[in-house]
Amino acid sequence: MKLLIIEDEDSLLRSITDYFTQEDFLCETASTYKEGIQKATDFQYDCIILDVNLPGGSGLALLEYLRKHKKADGVIIISARDSLGDKIAGLDLGADDYLTKPFHLSELYSRVKALLRRKYASSSSVIEFDKLKLDLLLKTVSYSGQPLLLTKNEYELLLFLLTNKNRVVSKQAIAEHIYGEQTDNLASFDFVYSHIKNLKRKLKEKGGDDLLQTVYGLGYKLSV
Amino acid sequence: MNKTLEQKSTRYLMIWLPVVLLLGSLLFFVMLNMHSHHTQEKQLALKQQNVWNAFIAQPAAMTMQIQGEYVIQKNYLLPAQILDEPRDTSLLIEGSSEKLNFKALTKAYHFNNENYQLTTFVSSKEFFHLTIKVFATEAFVFLLLLISIVVINRRSSRLLWRPFHRTLKKTSGYDVVNNPVAQLEQQTGIAEFDQLNAELTSMIAKVNTAYNNQKNFVENASHEMQTPLAIIRSKLDLLINEPSLTEKSASLLGDITEANDRLSQMNKSLLLLAKIDNNQFPEQEKINISALVERILTTYQEHYDDFPSLSKSIVSGIYIMANPALTEILFSNLIKNAVVHNVSQGFIKVCLSDSTFSIENSGDAITEKPEMLFERFRKGNKESKTTGLGLSLVRQIAQLYKMGLQYNYKNGVHYVLIDFGRM
Repeated sequence: MKLLIIEDEDSLLRSITDYFTQEDFLCETASTYKEGIQKATDFQYDCIILDVNLPGGSGLALLEYLRKHKKADGVIIISARDSLGDKIAGLDLGADDYLTKPFHLSELYSRVKALLRRKYASSSSVIEFDKLKLDLLLKTVSYSGQPLLLTKNEYELLLFLLTNKNRVVSKQAIAEHIYGEQTDNLASFDFVYSHIKNLKRKLKEKGGDDLLQTVYGLGYKLSV
Repeated sequence: MNKTLEQKSTRYLMIWLPVVLLLGSLLFFVMLNMHSHHTQEKQLALKQQNVWNAFIAQPAAMTMQIQGEYVIQKNYLLPAQILDEPRDTSLLIEGSSEKLNFKALTKAYHFNNENYQLTTFVSSKEFFHLTIKVFATEAFVFLLLLISIVVINRRSSRLLWRPFHRTLKKTSGYDVVNNPVAQLEQQTGIAEFDQLNAELTSMIAKVNTAYNNQKNFVENASHEMQTPLAIIRSKLDLLINEPSLTEKSASLLGDITEANDRLSQMNKSLLLLAKIDNNQFPEQEKINISALVERILTTYQEHYDDFPSLSKSIVSGIYIMANPALTEILFSNLIKNAVVHNVSQGFIKVCLSDSTFSIENSGDAITEKPEMLFERFRKGNKESKTTGLGLSLVRQIAQLYKMGLQYNYKNGVHYVLIDFGRM
């Protein structure tokens, strides 16, 4: 998968690149409006991660330019501006998703994956990992062929972990993913913890003992 | 009790002016009396001279006595000490039943080898009457003066202070948040008031600038903080995936992550507060809050496994005009607050009627004063892991749409009421 990351903050750009490279993405980067436009028009990308505030021009203008020139690459806007107006403006211009800074890399990754899944809908709607199978269309989960009955939250949680498989996903990222980013819900870690506990129990019942691991109280990881 | 300027100045006038006028009248009376006596004495002396001249011109033809006018006596010697000095006396005049007061002057003369004493009289009554009449007139004039000074003073001060009252009215309507414009007159016709208005205008401008700077500062600062926060967060996401992570460094990382998250949340809420302050949510639409409240409740019930037992009475089809994003924050913050600050096996009671929304929940007593609960960074409970901005957002939004907001705590039950402010 080819990814173009347009972000002027060098440090953040490196973080994103690191994260996606580890997931076998081919990452190209641009840090100005001009560079961004050049790369985006010259090459074809599966997804473009686009910052709004760029030196030399707005990311939104860049997006408008791309859509005008019939470039259909998936675009995820990352912005420090989180007003509803900005979000709507971005989505109206043809962005596929909008993420407000600061975000978790795991969240960005899951958004990119979701975008790619939507974009290439022809491919299988089933995500498999070890003996775990998750059907995105039917929203069902099974382990070694035995169905797992999950609540909506547990399903969302499992999908999030599955997308970021073999990686530690922080409990903060999970909380934000499930409960949304706007509310000041630091108390929701307790709820994350209880979802994880339930999920672990349900997996254990079907024989998936160590599939879901807790990493030093920092977060959780789905790995074999 | 404070009095108005007009009442004050009238009071001072009413106290001091009569005193001054009274003293003036007294002085006037004394002076008048003195002058009248002086005149009387002059008249006496003149009469004395005229009568004596007439007598020595024709001593035989002259009547020796006219009652009330003069008496010429031969060899009659009054004691020397009363001669040449006017004195008071009283005479019985024919045709009058009582004695009348006169001033008398007696002088001794020597004429044709004989001693004479001439006494002349001037009636005191006319002088006394004149004095009384003049004094009464003066008193009347002074009274008139008193009344007219007070009236003129009231009228003129009312007129003079008129620009001041206009300024007062305009500045009392000024509010840095809701009505930051106070158009004060530049030309009032009175230099002091012109200066006052100029000073006030520049002060208002300064206040407005300071307020706007502060608002913008919070917004800009929050905005600028988003990027470093995003960098820290992304680095932390990378760090926790390092294979070399030890338990000790993991615990350090956990603390950093938590602090950073709290910072991000605070920053977001502050940004939101600043945006509400800066009126950046102008778009309003008709929102079905019955449906909104139901939806939020359902979402939270799904999110939280141990959602408290819920009882609700929600009248359907209640609408308000507001910004959709803010309305959602208002109600979801209140509902979330009731969930998060609940006790295990607790309850939540939600009521929505045409004019009010109320939410009750079981919970521990707050350590903070109730009225402080809606202030920024105030928490009911010091240990709670919240940013302390959720309820100030609620208050800010309620204020924006002029809704009433009440909080109560009684016997382990928190109660919040929102009044939509409908008549």
